[in-house]
Amino acid sequence: MVMLIQTPPEGIYDELFDEDNRVRPSCRMLEDWLIKSDEDLLAEKRREADVLFQRLGITFNVYGEDQGADRLIPFDLIPRVISASDWQRMQAGLRQRVQALNRFLFDIYHDFDIIRAGVINAEQVFANPQYQPGMQNLKLPRNLYSHIAGIDLIRHNDGDFYVLEDNLRCPSGVSYMLENRRMMMRLFPELFAQAPVAPVEHYPALLGETLRAASLKPNPTVVVLTPGRFNSAYFEHAFLARQMGIELVEGADLFIRQNKVFMKTTIGPQQVDVIYRRIDDDFLDPLAGNPDSMLGVPGLYAAYRSGNVVLANAMGTGVADDKSIYPYVPDMIRFYLGEEPILKNVPTWQCRKPRDLQYVLDHLPELVVKETQGAGGYGMLIGPKASKKELSHFRTLLKARPDNYIAQPTLSLSTCPTFVDEGVAPRHLDLRPFVLSGKKVQMVPGGLTRVALKAGSLVVNSSQGGGTKDTWVLEGDAC
Amino acid sequence: MLSRAASSLFWMARYLERAETQARLLDVSLTMALIDVPEDREEQLSVPLLVTGTREVFDELYNDITPQNLIDFLVLDDRHPASVFSVIRSARDNALHVRGNLSADVWESINLAWMELKELRHTGVTESNASRVFDWTRERSHVFRGAAYGTLLRNDAFHFLRLGTFIERADTTARVLDIRHHMATKSLEGHPTQSFFEWTALLHSLAAFEAYQHTYGHNIEPMNVAELLILKPDVPRSLRACLQEIASLLEQIESGDARRARRLASSLYANIHYGDREYIEERGLHEYLTDFLDRIQRISGQIQKDYMGWKQ
Repeated sequence: MVMLIQTPPEGIYDELFDEDNRVRPSCRMLEDWLIKSDEDLLAEKRREADVLFQRLGITFNVYGEDQGADRLIPFDLIPRVISASDWQRMQAGLRQRVQALNRFLFDIYHDFDIIRAGVINAEQVFANPQYQPGMQNLKLPRNLYSHIAGIDLIRHNDGDFYVLEDNLRCPSGVSYMLENRRMMMRLFPELFAQAPVAPVEHYPALLGETLRAASLKPNPTVVVLTPGRFNSAYFEHAFLARQMGIELVEGADLFIRQNKVFMKTTIGPQQVDVIYRRIDDDFLDPLAGNPDSMLGVPGLYAAYRSGNVVLANAMGTGVADDKSIYPYVPDMIRFYLGEEPILKNVPTWQCRKPRDLQYVLDHLPELVVKETQGAGGYGMLIGPKASKKELSHFRTLLKARPDNYIAQPTLSLSTCPTFVDEGVAPRHLDLRPFVLSGKKVQMVPGGLTRVALKAGSLVVNSSQGGGTKDTWVLEGDAC
Repeated sequence: MLSRAASSLFWMARYLERAETQARLLDVSLTMALIDVPEDREEQLSVPLLVTGTREVFDELYNDITPQNLIDFLVLDDRHPASVFSVIRSARDNALHVRGNLSADVWESINLAWMELKELRHTGVTESNASRVFDWTRERSHVFRGAAYGTLLRNDAFHFLRLGTFIERADTTARVLDIRHHMATKSLEGHPTQSFFEWTALLHSLAAFEAYQHTYGHNIEPMNVAELLILKPDVPRSLRACLQEIASLLEQIESGDARRARRLASSLYANIHYGDREYIEERGLHEYLTDFLDRIQRISGQIQKDYMGWKQ
C-alpha cells in the first residue's frame, strides 16, 4: 500500500514539497520512506513511542493524580528536515544575534552606550519591569548574561527564517530535542542508516562546558537548581543534571554563609560556584524578590552581588527578550557588531508609538497582537481568526494600555507533513535552537521543532495542545 | 552527595523492600489460612498486620478479618501508608526526588511498577488473582534490585540505596521471626500436625525454606530456624548477612566527622558475628529480637542524623 501524503495549501512554504508540489532534494529519502510506510505501522510505532515516553516519565506532572496517566506532549513520528546550507546560515545568524543580545545586556547594566547613541530610548529600558537596577555595574565573568538562549524561529512563505522571539531567561525544551532523537533512532534505526543526520547527543557535554566556563575558577562546582518535582519541566532538570553528572538541587539544599553558597551534603557543606538555575529571577531569593518564595535561597542575591557565585543565566536578562525590546535587535546587531543581521525580525508595530497604534487599530483583522510581557501563547489576538467581539475587546485594551502591546503581520508559518487522524497532512511548525555562550558561542545542529496539531492552527505551544518532532539537520543539501 | 538525595535513596530502597515483604507475608498468610484449623485462621491472617503494626488501622477501616478484606487493605488501600500501593507510591515519590542520581534503568523500573500498579487498581485484586499480584510485586522488586546492581555507579548514592534495603530487611526478618516463631512453637504443643506448616510458613515468609533444607535437612527444629535466620552469614535475609552489609556499607560511605552510625552498626554486627545459639537460648528469642529491633532502629535514626540531618 502506498501512503497518501496531503499536499499543503497554496501560498504556504512546506518543508517537504516545493511550490510545484515536487519533493525538495533534502527530503527525498524521507518521502520515500513515508510513501512506503502505511498508517497501521505508523499508528503502531506511535503507540510504542507513547508507552516508552510514559515509562521514561517524560510527562507533564499532573501531581496527586493516582488514576489515569500523566500527560504526554504529543510526539510526531515524521521528522522535520533542514538542509546543511540552511543550517549554516541559521547558525551564523543565531551566533550573531546572541552575541549582540549579550553585549546589549552588558551595556544596559554598565555604560548605556546604546541609549546615549539614541538607538533605544532610556524609558524603554529602565522602566521595563524586567530591568534589575541591582545588576548595574556588577562584574560578571566574560561579561556573559544569557549563557543559554533559546531562539524561536519560523519559516515564512518567502522561504526565509524569521526570529519570532528570543528566550534569554530559562528556555526549556532541550530534553525533548534529545529524547525525540533517541526515540526516532529506537523506532526507525533503518532511517538513520540512510540519512546523513547531524548528531545532537553532545548537547549536555557542551552545556557542561558552557557552565564551567561561566566561572573563572579552574574546577568550579556546578549544580542545577530546580523548583522541584511539581514543576512541569522537572524531567528536563533531572535529565540534564544526570547527563552532566552534577547535582540537582532544590532551594532547601542550599544555604548562604559569609556571602558564599553551600550545598548540604552527606559530608558537610560544599561550596557551589555556578548555579544553572531553572527558577525565575523573582523566586531566587525571598529576601530580594518575592518574599513568599519557598523555592529560592535566602541571601542568594547578596552572594551573587559579592561575586561569589555565578548564575546561569544572569539576573535581569528578561529585559532583552521582552517583546517591546525585540524590534530593536537588528539595530543592536548593527550597533555592537557593525554587521548586517543575518536572521530577519518579523516587522513589528509598537503600539506605544501613536502612528503605529493608529495603523494597528486600522488593520486589526489582519494582524497578530501580543502582550509585551506575554508568553506561552496566552493573551494574544490572531486578527484573521478573531470574532467581532474579540476584535472590539482588543481595541479597548489597545487604547487603554498601548505600551503593553505590539502587533505583527499574520505570518504563515511553514508546514510539514504530520501524522494526524486524517492521515499524513501538513501542519504548521516553528523551531527553537539552543545557543550556548561560554568561551565561545556553540550550538548543536538542530533544536526543538514544535508543531500545531490542529489543521490550520498557528499556535504550537505545548500548553495549547501543540506537539513536537525530531529535527534533522542534514550533513548535506540532499539525500 | 546531597543529604536530601541520600535520604530519598535510602527511603526509596526501604519502601521497595517493604513492598516485597508485604507480598511475601500476605501470600504466606492467605495460604496458611486455607490449611489452618478454623480457630487459628484469624491469627494467621493477622500476621501481616502485626508485622507492619497496622492492626488498629485495619480494625478501624474494616469490620472483620477475611482474606478479601486483608487483600483490600494491604494491597490497594491508599488510606494508610503500609499497603503495597502506598509503599510503591512513596518509593516513586522518593525516586522522583532523586531522578538526577538514578540511572534510566532504575528509574524506569520504579516508574513502570507505579504505572502497572495504577492499572491494577482499575482491575482490582481478589483472592483468585492475588497470587499473581504477589508474584508481580516480587518481580518488580527483583527488577529494581537488578537494575540498581547492574547499572548504578558504585558511589555513595548506591551505598545509601543499599543501606535502605538492608536496614529494612533486618527489621523485617527480626519482626517476622519474632511473631511466627512464637506461633509455630505454640502449635507444637496444640496441633503437632499443623506445626510443620507453621515452620514452613515462617521460612517462606523470609524466602529461606530452601536454605533451611539445604543446611539442616527435612526435620524442622525451632532453634535451627532461629539460628538460620539470625546467625547464618550465607542466608540473604539473616540478621547477620544484613548487618554485615550495613557495617560494610557504612565503612565505604564517605564520612566527615560522623562516626556514630558506623560505631553502632559495627558493634551490633560484632555481637551477631561472635554470637551463638546458646546465647540466644539463654537470653530468650523474644528478648533477643526485641533488643535487636531496638538497636537497628537506633542505627537507622543515627544514619539519618549523621548524613541526612540539616536542621538549622
